[in-house]
Amino acid sequence: MTLLVALLASTLFISNAMKSEYNTIINSYPDIVITNQKALRDTTINEDEVYKVLSIKGVSSAVARVWGHYYFLNGDEKFLILGRDEFETYSNPLLNASSNIAKDSMLVSKEVKKSLQKSYYTEYFNFIKADGSIKRLTIQKTLERSNFLENSALIIMNNDSAKEIFEYDDHEVTDLSVSVANKIEVAFIAAKLKILFPSARVSVKDDLRVMYENIYNLRSGFFLTIFIITFFTFFIIIYDKVSGLNSEQRREIGILKALGWRVGDVLNTRFYEGAMISLVSYILGIVLAFIYVYYFNAPYLKGIFLNNYDLLKDFRIVFNIDFETLALLFFLSVPIYIAATVIPSWRVATLEADEVMR
Amino acid sequence: MTLTPEILTIYILDLLFLFFAIIAFILSLQILKSWNFEATTKLQYSLQMKSYLGSTIIKYMFYIKLPLFLFFIFTLDKLSFILPGAMCGAGVVNSNEYATVLLFLKLINLYLFAYWIVLDKLDMQDEQQRYLKQKFTIFIALFTLLVLEIVLEYIMFSSIDVKDVVDCCGTIFSTNDNTYLSKALSLSPRILLSLFYMNFSLLVLSAIFRMRYIFSLLNLLFIFISLLSLVAFFGTYIYELPTHHCPFCFLQQEYSYIGYFLYGVLFIGTFNGLVVGFVEFSKKEISRHYRVSMFFNLMYIIVVTLYPILFFIRNGVWL
Amino acid sequence: MIKLINTSKIYDKNVVALDAVNIEFKEGELIVLKGVSGSGKSTILSLIAGLIKPTTGEVLVNEKKISKIADHFVSSFRQENIGFVFQKYNLINTLSVAENILLPLVPLNLTKVELKSRLENVLKLFDIEDKKDTLVKNLSGGEQQRTAIARANINSPKIILADEPTANLDEKLSLEFIDILKELKSQKRTIILATHDPLFFELDFVDKVIQVKNGQIIS
Repeated sequence: MTLLVALLASTLFISNAMKSEYNTIINSYPDIVITNQKALRDTTINEDEVYKVLSIKGVSSAVARVWGHYYFLNGDEKFLILGRDEFETYSNPLLNASSNIAKDSMLVSKEVKKSLQKSYYTEYFNFIKADGSIKRLTIQKTLERSNFLENSALIIMNNDSAKEIFEYDDHEVTDLSVSVANKIEVAFIAAKLKILFPSARVSVKDDLRVMYENIYNLRSGFFLTIFIITFFTFFIIIYDKVSGLNSEQRREIGILKALGWRVGDVLNTRFYEGAMISLVSYILGIVLAFIYVYYFNAPYLKGIFLNNYDLLKDFRIVFNIDFETLALLFFLSVPIYIAATVIPSWRVATLEADEVMR
Repeated sequence: MTLTPEILTIYILDLLFLFFAIIAFILSLQILKSWNFEATTKLQYSLQMKSYLGSTIIKYMFYIKLPLFLFFIFTLDKLSFILPGAMCGAGVVNSNEYATVLLFLKLINLYLFAYWIVLDKLDMQDEQQRYLKQKFTIFIALFTLLVLEIVLEYIMFSSIDVKDVVDCCGTIFSTNDNTYLSKALSLSPRILLSLFYMNFSLLVLSAIFRMRYIFSLLNLLFIFISLLSLVAFFGTYIYELPTHHCPFCFLQQEYSYIGYFLYGVLFIGTFNGLVVGFVEFSKKEISRHYRVSMFFNLMYIIVVTLYPILFFIRNGVWL
Repeated sequence: MIKLINTSKIYDKNVVALDAVNIEFKEGELIVLKGVSGSGKSTILSLIAGLIKPTTGEVLVNEKKISKIADHFVSSFRQENIGFVFQKYNLINTLSVAENILLPLVPLNLTKVELKSRLENVLKLFDIEDKKDTLVKNLSGGEQQRTAIARANINSPKIILADEPTANLDEKLSLEFIDILKELKSQKRTIILATHDPLFFELDFVDKVIQVKNGQIIS
């Protein structure tokens, strides 16, 4: 029982931690992102469109962004490339902090550095363009570890270098990021933007958050399904155990009844037993989960939530316990345990004293 | 279909309730069919034992239902974060035509189950168990309502669509539309308050003179008037915003979860008051119920009155 | 005062344990039910204690029709008024003497002080004080008997029932039991013994000897 609660608790803790991580990450996203589309597929946008956006009242800033992925053949992985402009401020704090990139240089994250090193690239890297020619960028600095789940394989470079690698035209950018001064106005402004850019996809940050929330609920939902099954198996086991009326137990209950114990008294004793056990298990389970998740960083279980794409090897799970999770765990464990004891206890309590003693 | 862990938990417990309720239902039928207190047959003995099981199951269900109801409200509240537009449980409830009915049904069931518990207690204190058949007949009714509630709960949760935009309580409880609700909410505070306090004074009077049925009736009235005045008047002082008329928002953390306290106290007070009119208690029992009812109703009034008064003291004006 | 009115007890398969029996026991009497095994004397005890309900007829104890009240009330009645000494003692071997003796009082939720004082009274009275914390399985036959009797007295019952109390005892212990009986009689309890031990038939402080045979009263 304790183990089950521990397991369940761990799952919930992890998913909560990740939720809060996502929330932090998402907070660093721009309020609105405008991505041009052709035939409903993402495509590039002209950077001059930014001025159209800036003309809308309520928009505090709009930035043309250059970013994308690069497939590194030797390491069989995708790098995320974020381009940056000297004079721009971005909503992503990491980008903002990474100014002063020398021409034809780049900043790489630790993961990228390791990957490149495996392929013997230590000082620089040759990006291969579409026509087969090479763009060499020197590694200026390795980035400090960040808490980003998504951007583990990250490279930051100047917009010019990025445009070259992606083979953008001079005025082409990946998308426009928009910040809105008054958050309540976001939906309103997004609507205006949709009219301004009819063929573009206008994504609002909140929607993203909602989407992630749902994904996480679903994922933990999968786990809960597993747990329902385990619980019912559990139920059956408890039922079996508690109803195991050996002759000694029957005799004892018979004696108690003969001494004047009522059915209610026997039931009460059994109930308190059950309540005690399940409560203690519940508390123990939570404590165990706590230690497992926060001190040991949840080996094995973490892997189920993070697949290779997201994997940050030393992801520190943030301390995140809330009342809701505790209440949830409580309702999943204690009432069910007690329920399992109801019928067996009743069977035991209603034995006829007389028959048992003869 | 949205499936948060909370909803899943509720489903699991609902299944459990269904399982037990069906057992109790079958028992009730057996008991109602063949119960003969005078008989000394084996059948009667087994029926007696089964009645203990029935009581235990129903008691168990009630005591879990209480915190579960709070948890339900809490789940609704949490859902408001996923439903665009909703900022509290009110939006969630309004998004779905089943939700309001479900809420009321759950409340009614809580009152009815509590009533059953009282009956059961009374029955167990009687050597002849005169209330036994009555008790289980009532459970049959309770069973149907419980099943209805569970089914409705499932329907409601599965029809919540994350893509629907819902109204926030600001819109639902506004005083501008032409609905009955807004008419009621825009009653002048003077009328509302006089009704409210008058109701309470009548309560006190009828308690002193032990007028059972009137007391019971007044308690029923009190439920409605309290809720109305809470949403229309007192709530605005909790929120310190004259237009915020929402019965859900003050269940949230920002307001120190005061909602749970207020509703809890109101429930206990009015339930004890109501029960006085329905059950034949002994003298000692009945005074206890009077006392409990008055105590909790008084607590409700005090706390709810404190909000506007404290506001006035702090700010020097009324809203 | 105990009355059995036209009481019959028929078990499954038409086994007649008692056949339309009428008896009355007055308060404070010490009565011996005499008869062989299966004569029905144990059934009478069980009926008085409310352990079983009669098939027909009524059982009245102190004007209360215990055969006609709900099960949990019968248990309460038994707890308050009856002290039963069983033939096989029916002690719980894994518990200590004190724990066994206190068992009948557990559902009452008495204070520790109250429990302690009652316990000590009874331990002293039946001379089992020194074995208070010993586990029952480590007691001698006589000690177990005294524990059983102590347990039957912990709730100061008005009625004491004993079923074949000396069946497993040697003469010395049987005589000790008779001394205890005398003591109990002096406390004005109603005592009913079911036994076929002739030791009891000639005692001077026995008020009545009733013979039971084949479910009927003979004398």
